[in-house]
This record gives sequence, C-alpha cells and structure tokens, in this order.
Amino acid sequence: MLASQLPVLIVLLCLGTAAKVAVIRSGREPNALARLGPAVLVPGRFRAPALLACGAAELVLAAGLLLTTHPIFRFATVAFFAMSTYVLLELRRRRPDAGCGCFGEVSSAPVGVRSIARTMALTGMAVVTVWAPVPGWMAFAQPSWEFTLAGLLVLAVLSPEIDELIERARHRAPCEQRRGPAEGVMLARLRSSGTWRAHRAELTTAEPYDSWRELCWRFFAFKNHQQDDVVFAVFMAGRRPAVRVAVVEADSESLPSYTPVSA
Amino acid sequence: MAYPSVDRRRVLAAAVLGREPGVPGPGPEGEPLRAVTGQIRDVSPHLILVETPEGGSERLVIAPWAKAWHGADVTPADLPVGARVVMRTREGRVVERIWADTIRITGTIMSVEGRKDVTVELDCGPHRGRRTILIPYRATGRLRVRHPQFEPGYLFDAIGIRKDGTALAMLPATSQPAYPARSVPAPPPAYGGMTSRISGTVTWADAFDEDERGAAYPMVERSDAGCPDAGVSCAGLPYLAIGSLLQVHNVCDGRSVNVPIVACGCLAGRFCDRCVECDTSPRGRIAELSPLSYVELGGDLVKGCFNAQIGLG
Repeated sequence: MLASQLPVLIVLLCLGTAAKVAVIRSGREPNALARLGPAVLVPGRFRAPALLACGAAELVLAAGLLLTTHPIFRFATVAFFAMSTYVLLELRRRRPDAGCGCFGEVSSAPVGVRSIARTMALTGMAVVTVWAPVPGWMAFAQPSWEFTLAGLLVLAVLSPEIDELIERARHRAPCEQRRGPAEGVMLARLRSSGTWRAHRAELTTAEPYDSWRELCWRFFAFKNHQQDDVVFAVFMAGRRPAVRVAVVEADSESLPSYTPVSA
Repeated sequence: MAYPSVDRRRVLAAAVLGREPGVPGPGPEGEPLRAVTGQIRDVSPHLILVETPEGGSERLVIAPWAKAWHGADVTPADLPVGARVVMRTREGRVVERIWADTIRITGTIMSVEGRKDVTVELDCGPHRGRRTILIPYRATGRLRVRHPQFEPGYLFDAIGIRKDGTALAMLPATSQPAYPARSVPAPPPAYGGMTSRISGTVTWADAFDEDERGAAYPMVERSDAGCPDAGVSCAGLPYLAIGSLLQVHNVCDGRSVNVPIVACGCLAGRFCDRCVECDTSPRGRIAELSPLSYVELGGDLVKGCFNAQIGLG
C-alpha cells in the first residue's frame, strides 16, 4: 500500500521532463517561455536553462525512485514537491498571469487553486512512499490497483491541463496555419503511396529537384525521361494522405499533358 | 540560397491541383498606375529624364500638381541630378509623385551610440544583414517619440533618405511595437477554418532589386526558404511558398495587384502593428512589397503602409 503511489509519481515526473524538453526543442519564441512557470521568476536569458534544469531534476528523481530504495531520493522527492507548492504559491502572488509550466506549454493557464492542490497532493503521495519497502520497478511489477487508480483519479481531477488538452483537440488551428511535418517525412509518405509506385518508373531520379509547401499541400517536382516535369502534391494531414500527380511539358506554360489523377 | 525554379512552381502547382495559374499584374478595377524607377539625368519644372535600371532612358512629363519628397517636401525641379527616384505616373507618362533617394530602414536595434546625432546599428534579418544608420539631431525628436524603447532588442522602423552613401532616418514609419523583437504575440485563434481573405497592413521595403515587382511574405516554411526566422506572424496567415502568387488589395483606394512572393519576410512578421492610413487595420503586417509594386497599388512611400487584404492569386 505504501508503494502504491510510486508508479504514479514516476510516470508523472517523466511526463514533466518530456514536456519541458519538448517546449525547449520546439524552438518556440521565448515569449512563450515568458508565460511559463517558475521560469518567469528568473531573468530572460536563464529561462530555458531553468526549465531544463527543472526537467533534469525530475528525471533524476524518477530514476532514483524507480531503481533504488535509497531514502535520499524519496526525501528529495518530498522536498521537490513541497518546494513546487511554495514556488506555485509565490508565482500566484507575484505573477498571476503566468502558467505553472509543470507540463510545458500545456500548463500555460494561470496558476489556480487546482494546480496548487495538485502539488500538495503529490507532496502527500511522496511522503507516503518514503516508507515504501520496495523500489519503483517492483511496484510496477506488482501494482496495488485500487490505491494507484485512486491516486491517478485525484490527480486527474486536480489537473487543469486535461481541460486544456480537450479544448485544443476541439479547436485546432486549420492546417494552413499549422507548421507541417518535415520535408523528409512528407517524401516518405509520398513514396508509400500507390500513385508514386505507378509513376516511379518514369522518373530519372528518386530525389525531387524542388519541393515547396503551399497551404495544406506539399509539392515535389521531378524530371522524367523526356525532361518534362512530374509534380506530386501530397496533402499535409493524415498518415495516408491524398496524393495527386501531373506531368507538365518542359516548355508549356499552363496546360498539363493529362488531367490530374486523385489517389 | 538559390531557388532553382520558383517561377515554375506556380505553373506546376496549378497543373497538379487543377486550378488556374494566376497572372502577375494589376487587377481589372480602376485606372492602372505605373511606377517608374531610375536615376535622374535631367530635371526641369515640366520634364524629367531618368535612366532606367535596364540602361534605357525615359522622358516623362511632370504634372503641374506633382509633388516630390527628398527628406522633406520639395518642388520637383529642385531634385538633384543623380538621385534615384521612384515615380508614380498616370496614363504612362505623366508624373504626379516623385520620391527621391527614399529608403526604408526596418530592423532590430543592435546598438545605439551618440548623443546629438544618433548612430544606430540594425539587424535586418538573415537575408538582409546588418546596416548602420544615422539619425540627424533634427529628426531624433520625431523618431524617439514613436520609438519609446530605444534600446537593443527592440524593433525600429523609419523612412529616410540616402545621402552621400549614408542612410539618414527622417520619419518614423510606425509606432514601435512594445515587445522585444523575439517575443511576437501569438495570432488570434482561428475557429472553424480559414477565411479566404486576410486583412492587415502592407508595407514596403527597399531590400528588393530596383526594378523588381514582388512581395516578401512572413509565413513560409523555414526549411523551404532557408530562413530560420520565418513562420512568425501575429495575423493568422496561412503558409505559402516563395513563388506563390499573392493577390494584394489596397482597401484605401480599391486597387488590387497580383504579385509573386519573391522573398521571406522574416522581419515583417515580427511587427504586430496597425496601419491607420484610411481606417484602423487589424493587427499584423501581412506582406512587404517592393517599392514599384507598392506604388502601383496606390501607396505613398513616405506614409509607409496601407490597409490591405490579401488572398491567393
């Protein structure tokens, strides 16, 4: 029973690290960081390192809890969450507009009572696990379902991020405005399509000589053996997107030599 | 970075999606304006002779009501020989507005030096590099009042003249955005898909070739344009490519022109300002035009912007 909250804590700490690293890696404008969590309490140029250091600390704690029963990690976890509670209270007092940043940019809503209650609940869970007799991986192997689920339920109720995720899924930016998958990913999707297989033999090379994105389409231009342009348009949304193709004569200005085919 | 076949992109995209490839040039409405650029060879109260960038020469009639700008309003006959001019003409040969040696200084402030005459170093984006400009003492008041954050990291936008190889800033082109250049506000959320036309402000830049007609557009994929600062805008713009045709409509005087996108407008996307030329536009610069395209749409280089709508041409 004492170890029942270990899996919850470990998963949560790992999620926190992953989300923070994702925010930094997404190359967001620093103003996004300016609204996130304890980072707003430090000067601008230290914000990204502060977020990363916090994520690294979480990862170390998660690893310690998972692999050992050493009390230093357990007390450190208690201290970490207790400190988080204090930081969030301070954040709420000094920067009421800033989000807690606990899970990266998903947590950009201003710190509320729920976020603070969540860190308090986590502190409580961490205190319970101090006296757990087994390391985290044992708790994963033999979970005591009812206590673990109860812990998860409490956290879910106290997480404003879940509301935010639901909102985001309901109101996504249209695909014209979203940053698309990388060119290589789109090329791989093109190559797995039936249209590509039907036209592959005509092309001189498998590498496009030009590629560009317009609205929701990514275009790839190739040359065929007659030196005409073979152009593929791949829709940017979906794993198996619509692919269209046309062959345009090298000296023509407008008309394709045959009508476009839809896949 | 070289774009091997950007002119061809429009034809290829139209062929594959089964749509009409647009044609660059003015729309049907209104009497078309023609912009002429060149270097003054001779000027008199009624005639002006310019050498065009292709090397030809053009002799134009100056209308009696014509106005000229060369750091301040002047009469056309006072323009110095050798000045580079952009002129707006009606019916092809009658000049009604002349802008001489006019430049647009847009960038992020890197350093500010000097007490009376202020020297400012600007970062004009990855394609345009850095430039150093001088603000003469008589212009500092006007510029500083519209640029309250006169320190490194903030944006700067002014109109000025080129004099003896020095860029002099004379007039503010906008009210400086209150945020640092790297903290552009996010666009408003788009519920229920895109609208076909987007409103905002259109400005001009002097970083185009002299006789080029085209636009710089902020929302291009970073990997395609080779521009690490692209893809930022507070106007909710769709992604387009270099080579796409943009239909720009001047809301103030009803003209529209199809212009190709020829560059990435990394810097234009960082300005989340409004144009108050004929009404208050929504926030955000949606395109930056070359001087010729801007003048042919009815814009005034000294005013620096007009309210516009854009659509895909």
